[in-house]
Amino acid sequence: MNSIFKILKKEMRETFRDRKSLMMMLMIPLFIPLIVIGMSALFDFQITQQEEDAKKISFAYELNEIEKQIVDTLELDVTIGTFDELSQKLKDGEIDYFVSKSDDGLANKLIVNRKSSSKGEEVFLSFLEGYKAYLQANILVGANIEPIEFMNVISFEENIIDSEEDSNFFVDYMTQYALLFIIMAITISTTYPATDATAGERERGTLETILTFPIKARDIIIGKYLNITIFAIATGVLSLILAIISLIISGNCFAIYKDMNIMLSAQSILIALLIIILYSFLISGLCIAIASKSKTFKEAQSALTPIQFISFFPGMIAFMIEVKNTIILSLIPFLNFTLVFGDSVNGNLDPIGVIGMILSTLIFIVVMFVVVIKQYKSEKILFAR
Amino acid sequence: MLKVKDVRKKFIRYTKSKKREEFYADDGISFEAKDGEIVGILGPNGAGKTTLLRMIAGILEPTEGTIEFDDLTIAKNELEIKKNIAFLSGNTKLYNSLTGYELLMMCCDIYDVPKDKRKKRIEEISKTLKMEEFLYNRIGNLSTGQTQKIGLARTLIHDPKYYVLDEVTSGLDIISSQIILDFIKSEKKRGKVILYSTHYMEEAENICDRVVMINKGKVIKIGEPDAIKKSTKTTNLRDAFFTLIGGAYNE
Repeated sequence: MNSIFKILKKEMRETFRDRKSLMMMLMIPLFIPLIVIGMSALFDFQITQQEEDAKKISFAYELNEIEKQIVDTLELDVTIGTFDELSQKLKDGEIDYFVSKSDDGLANKLIVNRKSSSKGEEVFLSFLEGYKAYLQANILVGANIEPIEFMNVISFEENIIDSEEDSNFFVDYMTQYALLFIIMAITISTTYPATDATAGERERGTLETILTFPIKARDIIIGKYLNITIFAIATGVLSLILAIISLIISGNCFAIYKDMNIMLSAQSILIALLIIILYSFLISGLCIAIASKSKTFKEAQSALTPIQFISFFPGMIAFMIEVKNTIILSLIPFLNFTLVFGDSVNGNLDPIGVIGMILSTLIFIVVMFVVVIKQYKSEKILFAR
Repeated sequence: MLKVKDVRKKFIRYTKSKKREEFYADDGISFEAKDGEIVGILGPNGAGKTTLLRMIAGILEPTEGTIEFDDLTIAKNELEIKKNIAFLSGNTKLYNSLTGYELLMMCCDIYDVPKDKRKKRIEEISKTLKMEEFLYNRIGNLSTGQTQKIGLARTLIHDPKYYVLDEVTSGLDIISSQIILDFIKSEKKRGKVILYSTHYMEEAENICDRVVMINKGKVIKIGEPDAIKKSTKTTNLRDAFFTLIGGAYNE
């Protein structure tokens, strides 16, 4: 144990002295506030834009009094122009559609001019509904029929039944993405020191020095493993703190989080910390195992590049297609972290899922330990040329 | 006393036609080195010197044979033996981000040098190897000679009994080389066992009590330099070596 701590001390001193490792550890987490706040701002802008667009309607003719009353009642943002002017605006993407009158002599026929990809006709349908109702009522009055009795034969009202998940869509989205960014930050910040401590050490010729020490190869690699894991955990914790701060700032600044609790619960923070620790052990072992097999620093970096994607994508895809956690899924590394964290954020945390995640990750960590210890006993790996 | 008994080391290599082939870098090497003796390991590049010294230092494991240090073997007493070995090669690199002092303190920690004796020990070695001027500079900023001195100092910090030195003077200027050679001679007087591999035959002739000549992984001659010269009817070890292998181009 003493030998492991001696190597750990030596490795930590080297990592602290290495600017690139420190940059990776500190700089990558700094991107999390940019991403969380930036994405929140983007969503906020899009939602505001959509709301504004939902009120816009354009006409290629002068509105009559009735039509004016209807657009006033619906508080629509009306643009009037000639057919050619509005056609040009439609082409330029300034408007999504415009309404013109039929030129075949039918006074009550309206035409919606739009591109096949245009959206936002709901506002026109609302306008049309109101106008149609007025005209129908006029006809009924002319025929001595009470319009209200005739037209209100059926009515409806909306009863919105949102689950907490549905109403907190943006909160879920940002918190889960924050975890994915934390995982990515850990992965990126782990690959460099893992490469440096293995392939880098061999390339620099210092591996021979360390192997002459009266320390077992097993203890050398465990010391290195612990050092990389400690830095990975530090990156993860720093990222988590920055993510929480960013979520709080976003919650206070953007309307999309209005009346919603964006702050992670104590349980979610604990789960996030557990994931950070487990993931740091797992990814450090994986990076060391891969980098140790590489002959040069560059080769190790290339070999580790796919890991950065593998660490991020299963969780992201699972989140995007709304995969629900199951016992089997909670055993799959990379995927299980996002699913368990998602359950925690949604208040659906299943203890069996958490235990499954812990057990499966521990098994993988033990496998990684065995693999890297075996590698460090192999002359083929240590003296690969 | 160091005893190397019939040591063999097998490696894998690939032929031009990418065929996997086993070969012995060292093939049945045996010799002894007594306390207070400098034994030179001589041979051309690829003769198996570095592999042999790495096996003696416990970095590589022999495929066959045994290496004994006062009746202890690496296989059974790895850590105990490593605590008594100083291994230094011309290829061994140090940690550039540390200062010489930090590296030596780290080695004190690793070799369990008592805390109250560490500073004094570093000062002594620093004075012996004339490193005071650059001891507190980062190793990455030092010259080759200065780095090699720090490397040698690293191996001495725990006052080892066995020195395994692999071409430690290659690439050094004559002053740095001489400081190291003088140090080796002084350690011999203290009863240390010193294995000294070099390309420079004159250097070996100058400091070695006995030499082990190796070619293609096999010992071709063991003896005192004068005895070898006499038996090969040559005036220096360089010519003696060529005579033993049948000429410079007989490879």
